[in-house]
Amino acid sequence: MKSFKHVRPSTISEVSSILNKEKAVMLAGGTDLLGVLRERILPAYPDKVVSLSGLDELKYISEEKGVLKIGAMTTLNELEKSDLVKEKLPVLTEAAHSIASPILRNSATVGGNLCQDTRCWYYRYPHSIGGRVNCARKEGNLCYAMMGENRYHSIFGAARVNDPPCREKCPACTDIAGYMEKLRTGDIDGAAQTIMDVNPMPAITSRVCAHFCQEGCNRLRYDESLNIGSIERYVGDYILANADRFMKAPGSEKNKKASIVGTGPAGLTAAYYLRKHGYSVTMYERMKEAGGCLMYAIPAYRLPKDIVRRFVAALENMGVEIRCGVSVGTDGLSMEEIYQKSDCVMLDTGTWKRPLIGVAGEELTRFGLDFLVDVNNFIHERPGADVIVVGGGNVAVDVAITAKRLGVPKVSMVCLEKREEMPAGIEEIERVLEEGVDLVNGWGPKRILHGPGGVNGVEFKKVTSVFDKAGKFAPRYDEEKLMEVKGDVVLMAIGQKADLGFLEGEFQVETERGRIKAVEGSNTSVEGIFAGGDVTTGPATVIQAVTAGRNASVSMSEYMCGDLDITSPAPCLHRFDPISRRRDPAVKQRVATTSERSLEKEDASGISETDLQKEIARCFNCGCMAVNPSDLSNVLIALDAFIVTNMRRISAESFFTTDTRVPRTLEPGEIVLEVEIPLPAKETILRYDKFRLRKSIDFAVLSLATAYTVRNGYIADARVVLGAAAPIPMRMYDVERFLIGKIPSEAADEAAELALKDALPMENNSYKIDIAKVLMKRSLAF
Amino acid sequence: MVKEQLRPIITLNVNGREYELPVGEGVNEISPSETLVHTLRDRLGLTGAKLGCGQGVCGCCTVIMEGKAIASCVTLTLDCEGARITTIEGLADTATGELNNLQQAFVDKCGFQCGYCTSGIIMAAQALLDENPFPAEAEVREALAGNYCRCGTHYTAVDAVMTCVEKNREV
Repeated sequence: MKSFKHVRPSTISEVSSILNKEKAVMLAGGTDLLGVLRERILPAYPDKVVSLSGLDELKYISEEKGVLKIGAMTTLNELEKSDLVKEKLPVLTEAAHSIASPILRNSATVGGNLCQDTRCWYYRYPHSIGGRVNCARKEGNLCYAMMGENRYHSIFGAARVNDPPCREKCPACTDIAGYMEKLRTGDIDGAAQTIMDVNPMPAITSRVCAHFCQEGCNRLRYDESLNIGSIERYVGDYILANADRFMKAPGSEKNKKASIVGTGPAGLTAAYYLRKHGYSVTMYERMKEAGGCLMYAIPAYRLPKDIVRRFVAALENMGVEIRCGVSVGTDGLSMEEIYQKSDCVMLDTGTWKRPLIGVAGEELTRFGLDFLVDVNNFIHERPGADVIVVGGGNVAVDVAITAKRLGVPKVSMVCLEKREEMPAGIEEIERVLEEGVDLVNGWGPKRILHGPGGVNGVEFKKVTSVFDKAGKFAPRYDEEKLMEVKGDVVLMAIGQKADLGFLEGEFQVETERGRIKAVEGSNTSVEGIFAGGDVTTGPATVIQAVTAGRNASVSMSEYMCGDLDITSPAPCLHRFDPISRRRDPAVKQRVATTSERSLEKEDASGISETDLQKEIARCFNCGCMAVNPSDLSNVLIALDAFIVTNMRRISAESFFTTDTRVPRTLEPGEIVLEVEIPLPAKETILRYDKFRLRKSIDFAVLSLATAYTVRNGYIADARVVLGAAAPIPMRMYDVERFLIGKIPSEAADEAAELALKDALPMENNSYKIDIAKVLMKRSLAF
Repeated sequence: MVKEQLRPIITLNVNGREYELPVGEGVNEISPSETLVHTLRDRLGLTGAKLGCGQGVCGCCTVIMEGKAIASCVTLTLDCEGARITTIEGLADTATGELNNLQQAFVDKCGFQCGYCTSGIIMAAQALLDENPFPAEAEVREALAGNYCRCGTHYTAVDAVMTCVEKNREV
């Protein structure tokens, strides 16, 4: 076992202070923790193990005023053998007896039993044998139990321990699996809200996003990725169609004013969140229409301008004021004026300037981005007859395809990178080839060839490597190997610069490599000025800009009002559609054939309602399927017990259900000290039934703890807790309500059906449903 | 904190003998992450306790500590400060080497086959007999519920323990 420091304090406060200050774990009996440490299961190996074996004061079982109190360091053997427990709560004796083996019960403690780690065999797979298994409970995001061996796993859905890979990969951190689940229950409004919590423009992002989420999808290991983009588009279009409901003016005004210079995705996003929370927002745009790159750089065949206009209109309906055709700093409106009039300002001015790369004859070339802007301004002129596009990114792709669709007979696209190194996405590259663009990889421009009639080609030199050993962009060339490409127009699409001219003068906003330097919280070096989007990061994706915009809005809101409404969602079990385990191919959007394509009409069409239903059913809703292995947990919840720590007194139910990783429920420095069990009324019938493979040593395949108070043959009160059936002990509220007023033996069948009606077994553990029903019926056979 | 600095040694009482062992990360020192089974076997040469599963499940490493049968593979040596520990080597008469009644019963009844699990089984049974010299067979079975035998000697092992119980009754 990897070493650690070992301390054995004699007071609780000493233990607490060590836990507070150091990377330490508590060791009670050690029967669970030492295995966990040996196999390096924990996300981080502790520096120190704090042994609680010196805390003799925590070893007791006593009764005080109808409450049984058990110290956390009491061993399970002591609990099992206690005459007091046998007399007052034989169900607890029974439960203690059912745990592990007599030898282990001599060391294992009550506190340790409550806080033990899960027993899932994938989770427990030793790190030393072949490395870590990807596990949703460790730092991974996949649950092998879903398709694999799952005896000790849930039949009621999964729990999120880490983010699923789709969410982890999404720059906006969209709760993708969460909105898929809402869609499956028919709650499209809820799904829309989930997306809009982080991204107000899914109709736009779904069309232009690189969909990093799909790259991480766990279905890739199985068949093919969930088509998240098409589903997002469906929801996005729904939001736009119902913009009056989803993008409403705020109920109350905060009477603070934010100004945003630039109306790209970052600015629009910030405007949405600020306005939603009651700020007054004014945006300034130098072009005729708002939208920035969405409007002017991205071609209409990928993102119809109507979509952008509808989103902008919805923002205006919320009360955002957008002033187009105003060039800040030159049109009589200075930055200073805006700054003075506003409580804070955000800069989202993008990267629209052409960088000069120092190629001879560069002045004869055309900037690719300007070309796209012209086309989006309805200047549909063929740039030439034989076009050379220099660059390998998404903009270069857009430039090349747009040129092609304008009717240019021959378009060559030349870039430094090898095909697999190109910054453009795989789909983009495929699209370029499909459209008949001649793609040449591995050459860099040396000089522009020209004659009296103008440009007649480019001379390229061979690239030997694009990136240095550290992976940084540092192209090297073989100056001897040259190639000439003929052409009458050269469109340069290699980089974009921020134009910060409007800032000069009174504003000393700190810049870095020609961009605005934004520190954490989207602040710039000037108080009250925030920045986000490409102007801070350099050319990036729309979803990254959306994220930057949202972050800026949070910082701005904090700056103006000092309040932030962050709510963490309540834990719940995550359900999937059993169909998801079928190997169904993903539903695809229809993409126009090459002959149908044009400049204005969108290439891809959305998916139908029927296809949507098919696709959302494919989502695994990835989470951890392991169950809580503690036997005492179920009984303590049924007995309405309390867990007392050095900081608080928590009901057993919330102790075990707040987080599926029970120790995470504890605050730093918090130690479980005692279990308090109110002794139930005389007529309460208590039972703990544990189904397992062997009488000794085994964990429950299923277990059921019940407490029925029976008066005159009728159930007056019931508490039913199903163990080993879900990542948390399942209190069966429906069954409890149903049983009240019933005769036990007569209600058994119906109670069993009711208890399992929402069961969601996996492929190999549906037998657990029948076992649970039997346990349920047995509990009522008295 | 205090103990770390002032107590670089750990005291164990094994089979009636006091051991003072240095604690630390050196070759001849007890590492804080060392389990009792390793200390007994590798440092004290008491190889009767066997390392089986390393998870406390199989019972091969069972020793008696403060009167209770425990799994020495899931017990940190440093948590045994001052503890009285008995291993299988401590059962026989130290002077004559004569086996104790329980050991003799296992020999007589052939309560073993390959022997790997046997010292664990004997120690678990011994802990029971120390507490209750006349257990019923069901109690013996219960006490041995945490000891595995891959050879399948469970029945003869229980038989051996019961023989010892009968013999105790005669005394």
